[in-house]
Amino acid sequence: MDLGYVSVQLFNGLVNGAFYALLSLGLAIIFGVMRVVNFAHGAFYMLGAFGAYLLLQQIALPFWIALVVAPLGVAVIGAVLERLFLRRLYPLDPLYNFLLTFGLTIFIQDAMRLRFGIQGQPYPMPAELAASVSFGAIGYPVYRLFVIAFSIAICFGVWYAIERTRLGMVVRAATERGELTRALGIDVDRWMTGVFGAGIALAALAGVLAAPMRNVSPLMGSELIILTFAVVVIGGMGSIVGAVTAGFLVGLLASLGAIFNPALENVVVFALMAVVLLVRPAGLFGSPEAE
Amino acid sequence: MRRWLPLALVIAGILVAVALPRVLYSVLALRIMLWALFAVSVDLLLGFGGMLSFGHAAFWGGAGYTAALLAKTFQLPFPIAALAGTLAAMALATPIGYLAIRRRGIYFAMVTLAFAQMLFYVVNEWRDVTGGENGVQAVPKLLPGFSVSRTLDFYYAALPLILLGFFFAYRIVHSPFGHVLVSIRDNEARAQALGYPTQRYKLLAFVLSAGLAGLAGSLFAIGNSFASLELLHWTTSGTVVLMVVLGGMGTLWGGAIGAAIVLLMEDWLSGFTEASGVITGAVLVVIVLGFRRGLWPTLRDLVTASRHPEAPPSVDASAP
Amino acid sequence: MKRRLLALTVVLTLVGAACGASTPGGGGAAPAQVKLTDNKLVLAVLNDQSLVYADLSGKNAVEAVKMAVEDFKAKYGENALGGPVEVITADHQNKPDLASSKAQEFYERSNADIIFDVPTSSAALAVAKVASDQKKMYINITAATTDLTGPSCNKYTFHYAYDTYMLAAGTGKWVTENVGKQWYIIYPNYAFGQDMEKSFRASVEKFGGKVIQSDGSPFPNQTGDFSQLLLKAGQLKPQVLGAMQAGGDLVNVVKQYNEFKLKDQNIKLAIGLLFDTDITALGADAFAGVVYTTPWVWSMDDQSRQFADKFLKRTGIRPTFAHAGNYSAAWQYMEAVRRAGGDDADAVVKQLEGYKFSDFFIRNGNIRADDHWVMHDALLAQVKPASEAKEKFDYSKVLGTIPAETASRPLAETGCKMPK
Repeated sequence: MDLGYVSVQLFNGLVNGAFYALLSLGLAIIFGVMRVVNFAHGAFYMLGAFGAYLLLQQIALPFWIALVVAPLGVAVIGAVLERLFLRRLYPLDPLYNFLLTFGLTIFIQDAMRLRFGIQGQPYPMPAELAASVSFGAIGYPVYRLFVIAFSIAICFGVWYAIERTRLGMVVRAATERGELTRALGIDVDRWMTGVFGAGIALAALAGVLAAPMRNVSPLMGSELIILTFAVVVIGGMGSIVGAVTAGFLVGLLASLGAIFNPALENVVVFALMAVVLLVRPAGLFGSPEAE
Repeated sequence: MRRWLPLALVIAGILVAVALPRVLYSVLALRIMLWALFAVSVDLLLGFGGMLSFGHAAFWGGAGYTAALLAKTFQLPFPIAALAGTLAAMALATPIGYLAIRRRGIYFAMVTLAFAQMLFYVVNEWRDVTGGENGVQAVPKLLPGFSVSRTLDFYYAALPLILLGFFFAYRIVHSPFGHVLVSIRDNEARAQALGYPTQRYKLLAFVLSAGLAGLAGSLFAIGNSFASLELLHWTTSGTVVLMVVLGGMGTLWGGAIGAAIVLLMEDWLSGFTEASGVITGAVLVVIVLGFRRGLWPTLRDLVTASRHPEAPPSVDASAP
Repeated sequence: MKRRLLALTVVLTLVGAACGASTPGGGGAAPAQVKLTDNKLVLAVLNDQSLVYADLSGKNAVEAVKMAVEDFKAKYGENALGGPVEVITADHQNKPDLASSKAQEFYERSNADIIFDVPTSSAALAVAKVASDQKKMYINITAATTDLTGPSCNKYTFHYAYDTYMLAAGTGKWVTENVGKQWYIIYPNYAFGQDMEKSFRASVEKFGGKVIQSDGSPFPNQTGDFSQLLLKAGQLKPQVLGAMQAGGDLVNVVKQYNEFKLKDQNIKLAIGLLFDTDITALGADAFAGVVYTTPWVWSMDDQSRQFADKFLKRTGIRPTFAHAGNYSAAWQYMEAVRRAGGDDADAVVKQLEGYKFSDFFIRNGNIRADDHWVMHDALLAQVKPASEAKEKFDYSKVLGTIPAETASRPLAETGCKMPK
């Protein structure tokens, strides 16, 4: 097995990992701050991809602009849903918000299907990134390398924002000591909407990145969500570093497993999830569960 | 005066069960009864044990495949195949439950999901035995001395087993074991302080719940004349939880009502399938927002004049 | 309190509606030459109306059957079939157990005389069993599995439009002879995909080619990412990459095939099963040059075009071969009912077995009595680049015809034991 082949497979793993990382980052933030298990995360990923498609189709906005506009637009939708629905269920067991977002997922996916059909919409690769890089005898698309680099940059940016800025400090305080933060006069509830929107924006961003590579179809996020849960659990349910690391790690491991036996790709993730849950339930980077 | 109300309800329930295939179509009636038993098994664990399993399809489906394969390979009468399926589910639940109950809340749910997913992929891969995507087809419905191939006949033949399952659930809940389980749900530390081996109680509840789910799943597979991957898919686990929440957690029978509503709605909607997902999603959102306690407590409050029902489960209390 | 009453009312209404839902009774018709068993003819269409195959068959396939009924009545008169003709439908969501119970419901509860369509091989086979048990007719159009005319064959089941053998016989032969002899096959790892891999392997090797390797992609596919297999293709460097995926999976394969520029590395793409709806999803240029086998192309001749124009007016899209196949099958069924003088399943089956016919969809058709496969000519088609399209949906041009004999599995190979 030549090195060129193995290395491109690993890069592939990193690409998949990039998507897992972005998605689980958003999920982890939302869970960490709001204790909401957002089942609809896959649906927002799909809306991000459709956003890019519609921006191109209706107003000829290219990929680069869509990369900014689509996540913002979808984040607004998410914020509205948070205000209208999710916020009523905060005092209750997370199960209710879980079921609510489950219902929202079914609604959103089917509504998109009714409007656009199931088959998928064409979305071209941005011309600037359409070249290939050679790894030995094999050509590897530049776009995929871009996805890896861009995702790492975003993840780093989010980490920085949370760890090093005042905004992030408030978010962390709201997560760890909600009542105390409120008592100090900070309007935690206002931050909730913003945090939810930010998490959703990350999901939509992943969707925009996926549009040139994957079929833009209403169900594109439906199987991905379960995998994302697995990644978040492995990384640690409220941990930013955990989500990103686990995302890339899972992507790599699944790729490696698939080199040996394509069927392993699916099982690896869930087996890892079970192992983590049993050995170290807080996840690789999570703090011990507050129970 | 309220003393005969439960008995009247039981008799009414049995009458409904007997009359159902005459009122609805027999295949639909069978599906409702079996999903109802499945939902009751989940509520046993969720409403009374406080444990949300998001992987119960593993037992419904695992038992279904077991019963289907045994019935087909060995031409077993369906009650025996169903019993085998039930035992298989319980056997499967023992190691899974043992591992899962070491975690609580959402983590417990995730463990059950992970194991259910692994089982799904294993069954998918093990094509030679399970038929993979095709499933196990042409499963015979056998009962010595009777012809039960027609669904209507199978329904009545299986009904005693189904009612037995409901009865078991009822007995479990209204027993000392059941009461201890509820106390563990409410405050595990206190139960431990009182000397109860809480892990063992939780494991037993998990295994019993899995057994009932397995009984329902076995009859479902045989009744349909086949077992398919659908039985093990995570959406099946999700649907049954939805039914329990819809009907009312911790009420035991709420799950049955939830099952009936969901299946009737699905049947009704499939006549004009344009917007079935949109409607289902919207209904779920409305229920979770407005009728959280579920329909059973709502109906019950309407029926009983007094507004002092037994304390509803404490899932409504704020949890960290 | 009001809220609860509202909920209760909603619930009871739903329950009442469900209980009350029953098939509307047909009026007693004056007996013509045709005598119907319950005074009406009920055609049922069972397919996927919400998931992966919803576009290529789905609701529009139901429209196609309705069109056939309307046109039949227009041609032969309102009472041509001795009573009203009803078209009912249900969504099986590609789930075999749902398909099985819906089929049973159609036959028992709705008195359906025949079921059409049924995509997804596992569902198709499940319905075949129900049809056999209930002794009612079933014409499958959109599933590809050869098992329908093989181990699962039975007296009441017919396989109408295409199967994996036909696809392999056409594409496997042409591509091996004209494009390349070294193949690498990727297929979705479930019954349909495995069937396709077997059929294509046999066909490629029959015509002098060699399958260097074949790999299954996980099914159901979680990520939509086939890059691992495509990169493997880049390493193996076959002359032909045979992709057996269908629907959304196929769209992802082609999208990523183009992304990895495998064509530039001289790895040509062969597709097992291609529908116009797949081409719409990516645009013709993504598929340009690909040669594939199909029973029918809407632009192939005037007769087909006529049908396609009517269909376009009614549904807004051009018909896929699944849509056209449903129309044709419904029409031929109704003709058979007329010939038989009634809708008794055994009588109609007798009329169909050995029947030779041609219409816009089926050319040189012959319904084999031994396995109920409908033999007919198939087409070798090629996707044109978008610039060559004369109108919207004009995707393909016909390269040649595959005669019915070549396109049909030899009887000796079917493994069908039809009980007489």
